[in-house]
Amino acid sequence: MDIDTNLKREVAELINWETTLLDRREWDDWIDLFAEDAVYWVPSWVDEEHTVTDPETQLNLMYFQNRGGIEDRVFRIESRDSYASLPLDRTVHIVSNILVAGVDDEEISATANCLVHSFGKQGGQTRASLYDFKFRKNDAGLKIILKKITLIDDKLEGPVDVYHL
Amino acid sequence: MDGSFQKSGLEALVDDRVDEGVFRVDRSIYTDQDIFEAEIERIFEKGWVYLCHESQVPEVNCYFATDIGRHPVVVVRQKDDSLSAFINVCSHRGALLTPKKQGKAATLTCRFHGWSYSCDGRCVRIKNEKEGFGEDGFDRSQYDLNPISKLASYRGFIFGSLVDDVEPIEEYLGAAATWIDLMVEQSPEGLEVVPGSSTYVIRGNWKMQLENSVDGYHVSTVHRVFASTVRNREERESLKGLKQTEGGRLVGIVPSGAYDLGNGHMSIWAQHTTPERRPIFKKKEWLEANLPAAHVEWILEKGRNLALFPNVMLMDNPSTQIRYVKPISADRAEVTVYCIAPVGEGAEARSARLRKFEDFYLTAGMATSDDMAALEDTMAGSFASQAQWSDFNRGLKTMTHGADEGAKAVGFDPVSSSESWENETLFFGFYRRWRDMMSASD
Repeated sequence: MDIDTNLKREVAELINWETTLLDRREWDDWIDLFAEDAVYWVPSWVDEEHTVTDPETQLNLMYFQNRGGIEDRVFRIESRDSYASLPLDRTVHIVSNILVAGVDDEEISATANCLVHSFGKQGGQTRASLYDFKFRKNDAGLKIILKKITLIDDKLEGPVDVYHL
Repeated sequence: MDGSFQKSGLEALVDDRVDEGVFRVDRSIYTDQDIFEAEIERIFEKGWVYLCHESQVPEVNCYFATDIGRHPVVVVRQKDDSLSAFINVCSHRGALLTPKKQGKAATLTCRFHGWSYSCDGRCVRIKNEKEGFGEDGFDRSQYDLNPISKLASYRGFIFGSLVDDVEPIEEYLGAAATWIDLMVEQSPEGLEVVPGSSTYVIRGNWKMQLENSVDGYHVSTVHRVFASTVRNREERESLKGLKQTEGGRLVGIVPSGAYDLGNGHMSIWAQHTTPERRPIFKKKEWLEANLPAAHVEWILEKGRNLALFPNVMLMDNPSTQIRYVKPISADRAEVTVYCIAPVGEGAEARSARLRKFEDFYLTAGMATSDDMAALEDTMAGSFASQAQWSDFNRGLKTMTHGADEGAKAVGFDPVSSSESWENETLFFGFYRRWRDMMSASD
């Protein structure tokens, strides 16, 4: 399949922008990148080699069926009343391997890899994830309708929130 | 151990003077690595510990790998459907036998030199045996796996002990058995661990994890933000029914209580003001038709946290959880959480149970993460030896010796009852059990 170069550039720009807004704490702009019906999903591991596949019957680390889930997280961060979020860990996301996997009339799908280095009270740590995105294109541009984060680390140290992912 | 820690010093670490209005513990019990090593030997390797749930070894030849203290242990379902547990290491050189945490295998074959064991622990094959050991008189059974001394299931929850000299499981659980019953009797088909789990490392002492799980006092401070977050969500999205969250306990406005259940076990409860938001409410009619009214009331209307000494917590509050703690060092523990649910639960209730679990309980959730941060700060503070005492006096003057009306209604007999889950009298039993096991003669 021949994928339009402009579309590839647009997808890469959006993925890079998304993680940049997290690192820069531009929460409202970050939320705006997601469609209202966007699914945000961090599966848990069902065994050493496989993650869960069905959020309705299996346990996840996070599973938000619409954008309200990340709005809750931002509400909690901004409340300054969350023990785990005050002081807020500093983060840097490094995204690479961005590939547009498929395009049809309705949806564009893409994959990427991400390393997140965070620093907080207990020191620094780095975690890695596989990203699976889906986007919807309209006249205003692309909106995220799925961000699935397969966190490859287990035995997680310290709290994990949306900005760590 | 360098020998610097002696049993005789233990009395001084648990300052148990309830008659004088004092119960406190020296914070070195959280920070001292010599004490930690002694805990592994004298508590984890000398008494009952939780291993796994029966649904994690559902069929013949299924195994589940876990630990007792420093000992890797594997629980295996036998051909006759019974359960066995062995030290999970090859008799030859000590490599771990199970390739995975959980699986199914008719024989466990060591991947180092290829020795094989049947699921009943017999050494059934030694690679190139004749060449190495000769043809005559070689007795392979000397290499059979070591079974652990005691294994028992209480209504699906499996416990084991490395030593033979332990009380019967019913006696060990004592009053806590009723609290397990209140979970199990919710489902005629039993309970099952839902696929998926999360393991996280707490940078704190394992006892702090047990404490936190039955500390009702922190809820209205640490989880105030959880309450405001879900309230904001419910208004924003006009949520109804199971999609709503029970909030009364989070802001501290409901009846509650705490129990010292004896043998180190502890529990707390708080009234649910909106039981119709709980997944189990879907089974209200069945519960009422099949269980005594007092049990139904406890199941539907009282959110419950149970801590079993020394290594597992069973929660039936916003969702239902097995929380297993594995001590690593004085300042580190690994915690694994599982969602446990009624077999055959309806799709809507199961989905709601999972969403409530993810909302609150995980290190990626919106409440457990705050608990961890508080716990880790408590650990950091505990190194200050000039401020050595952790205080557990709250509720000391108002506690009831023995059972209160709620306990009598469902027939369990605690050491003490407290009229608020903010009270700390339940920890007396935890630290008395700790002291007694740590100072027991060999």
